Amino acid sequence: MQIDIPPLLRHLTDGATTATVKGSTVGECLNDFVKQYPKARRLLLDKEGKLLRYAEVYVNKETTYPKELATPVKDGDEISIVYVISGG
Amino acid sequence: MKGIIRKFLRVNLSDGKIGEEAIPEQVEVDFVGGRGFGIHYLYRELAPKTDPLGEHNKMIFVAGPLAGTTAQAVSRWMVCTRSPLTGAFARSVAGADFGAWIKFAGYDFILVEGKAERPVYIHLTRDACQIQPADELWGKDTVVTQEWLSQRHGLNTRVACIGPGGENLVKYAAIVTNRRTASRCGVGAVMGSKNLKAIAINAERNLQLHDPEGYKQLVKQQIQTMMASKGFQHHREMGTTGNPENTSELGIFPARNFRYGRLDDYEKLVGEEYLKRRIGEFGCYSCAARCGKVHRVTKGPYAGAQSSGPEYESIWAFSGPIENSYLEATIAADQLCDDLGIDTISTGNTIGFAYELYEKGLLTKKDTDGLELKYGNHKAMVALVKKIARREGIGDLLAEGTMRVAARIGKGAEAFAINAKGLELPAYEPRGAKSLGYNYATSNIGGSHGYGYAPQEVFGAPFPRKVDRFAEEENADIVVFNQNNGAVGEVGIVCVFARAWFPHLYNNLLIAATGIDKIAEHGYLPRVGERIVNLERAFIVREGFGRKQDTLPQRMLNEPLHTRGAPGEGQMMRNLDEFLDRYYEIRGWTPQGTPSPEKLKELGLSYVVKDMAQSQKAKAI
Repeated sequence: MQIDIPPLLRHLTDGATTATVKGSTVGECLNDFVKQYPKARRLLLDKEGKLLRYAEVYVNKETTYPKELATPVKDGDEISIVYVISGG
Repeated sequence: MKGIIRKFLRVNLSDGKIGEEAIPEQVEVDFVGGRGFGIHYLYRELAPKTDPLGEHNKMIFVAGPLAGTTAQAVSRWMVCTRSPLTGAFARSVAGADFGAWIKFAGYDFILVEGKAERPVYIHLTRDACQIQPADELWGKDTVVTQEWLSQRHGLNTRVACIGPGGENLVKYAAIVTNRRTASRCGVGAVMGSKNLKAIAINAERNLQLHDPEGYKQLVKQQIQTMMASKGFQHHREMGTTGNPENTSELGIFPARNFRYGRLDDYEKLVGEEYLKRRIGEFGCYSCAARCGKVHRVTKGPYAGAQSSGPEYESIWAFSGPIENSYLEATIAADQLCDDLGIDTISTGNTIGFAYELYEKGLLTKKDTDGLELKYGNHKAMVALVKKIARREGIGDLLAEGTMRVAARIGKGAEAFAINAKGLELPAYEPRGAKSLGYNYATSNIGGSHGYGYAPQEVFGAPFPRKVDRFAEEENADIVVFNQNNGAVGEVGIVCVFARAWFPHLYNNLLIAATGIDKIAEHGYLPRVGERIVNLERAFIVREGFGRKQDTLPQRMLNEPLHTRGAPGEGQMMRNLDEFLDRYYEIRGWTPQGTPSPEKLKELGLSYVVKDMAQSQKAKAI
C-alpha cells in the first residue's frame, strides 16, 4: 500500500512524498512507515503509539476517525495523512 | 421572510435619515449573500477615489443567510468598505453574536454612510433605529463601551464598537464585538472617521427559513458529522493555539521581521504551554466548538493580564516579529489590542518593522521615546501597542502602518516593510508556502491569509489536488481555486475552520435557508465565488490597482529564507512575473490584471465593462 506523506513530514522523510508500507490495519501501516522513517514518528505518534491529536488518517479519501489505527486496510488502498486545520 | 430577508437598513449619519430598502431577487440569486452583497452594493454605491476616511465612504455590516439559525458555526459577519490602510477593497470578518443579531433585527445588512457631527452610536431594535449621542463613550475602551451599552439597553444587547484605536484613526484599527474583532484593513478607523462609536442591537430571536423542516434535518446531520470529525474535536480542545508548532516545523512561522522561518525556542509558544494558562473558553453564536480560549497571566511583569486569546495569528504577532518567546507578553499585548481596538496582525508586524529600523539605525532612541527596540525586548513591544492605539510619540508614526512609515522614513526603509498592497502580512511565511504567498500578492484586499488560504500547503489537504508548497507558477490554479473557494465560504460567512467539518452540507443548508435551488447545480457556487472575486478586482482596478501592485515585499523577492533547521532553507519567490502571467490567464484577465470584457460578461457583470475601459484609459494617460 502507498502512504501520501504530507508537507509537514517531508523534511523527516528525506523529501519523499510517498512511501510503500505493509500491514492489515492503519496502525500496522504507520508503524511500518515510522520504521522506514524513524524521524517522522514524533509528528505522527505519541510515546504510547497513539495517533497525535492533530494528525488525521484517511483511507481512500475517507477519514478513519474515530477508529483510526484499528481501521482495516487491504492491498491497493491509498492512505493519506492530513493535519487538521488549526490556524487561520 | 427566509434565510435571506431581502432587506437592508441604510443609516445616513450626516442628515440622520434612516430607511429600509429592498434587495432585488436577482441580486440574491447572483450573489447569495454575505460578502457577495457587500461587494455588490459597495461597487455600485461608492464613487471611485472616495476618501476612505471621508464623509462619502460607506460601510456595510453584513451577516450571511445562515446567521442566527440553529446551524453550527455559520453566524459570522463582516464589514465591507474602502480601506484607509490600502485604498483597496476591505472585507474584515468577525465572530461572536453580532451577525445573528443583525438578522434578528430584520436585515441582511446595515449600510452606514455620511459622518456625524459629534460622537454617536446607532441603536437598533426590531421596530426602530435611532442615532444616539455617544460623547460620554468617546475615549473609552471596548470593554467599558460594551458594558455601558449593555447597562443602558439590557443584557440582550449585542454591540460592535471601536476603541481609542478607531477614534484616533489608527490605519489598522479594529471593530470589536464581545471579544471578537473585525480587525483587518482598518475598518475601525472608517467607523472612527464617521464619529460612530458603536452599533447596538436589541432583538429577539426570530427567523424564518425557506424550508424549516428540511433545515432542521440538515442541522441534525451537521451536528452528527461535526462531532465525528477529528478536526472539530481538536479545534474544540485547542482552538488555534496548536498551530505555532505546526508552522514552526514547516519553517513558515515568520521570525525577526520575516527573516527566519521559525523562532529558535518556539517550543515555549506551543499549544500545551497556552493550555497551562487557560482559565476558560467562549464561542460564537450557535457553535459547540467554543474555540476562543481565555488565558490569564498570574506572575511576572504582566500578572493580571487576561486575554480571550491569543489565537494563532496573535500568538505570532507578538512573538515572531520581534523574536519574543515570553508567552505572557503575547497574552498582555493581545488583551491590549482587543481593549484598545487595533488589529493584532498589523500591530505586531509594524512593531517588528520598527525593531528592524532600529537595528539598521533608521530609528534611534530619540525617535522611540527612549524605548530600546532590541529583538526579544517584549516590554518595549507592549509599550508600543499602547502608544500606537493612542497615537502617542512614536506610536503616531507607527499607527500609519508599514507602507506609510517606510515612505515617511525613506533611506531604503521600504526594503523591510512587510506588506502587500499596504496590508501587513500575517503569520505564514510566503517563501515556504508559495500559493499562500502568491495569494497575498494577488488578493484584492492585500496581504491576507484569509482571502485565499492554502490548506494544501499548511496541512497537506489534498483538495482539489496535491500541492508542492515550493512550486511557483505551477500552482496558479490553486491560488485561483483557494480565492474563489474562500468567497464561496463567505457568502454564507461560515467559519473557515468549520467548513471542513461538514463540507457536503454547506450547499444544502444554503438551499434550505434561501430557497435558491440553483445552488444545487454543479459549479453554481464556485461561479458565485468567481463573480465576487472579479467584482472585487474591478473595484480595485477602478481605484488604480493593477499588475504593478500585485507584488510582494522586496524581502520575499530578493532575500533567501533562513529556516533555522526547518525545511525550505534558501527559498525565495523567484517567478512573480511568470506566476502573474499564468494567474491572469486562468482568471481571464488582461496581462495588466484587469478583468476582460469577455470574462465580465460571462459572469453577468456587463455593467462593469465600461468602468474597466475607463480605468485603462485613465492609466494610459
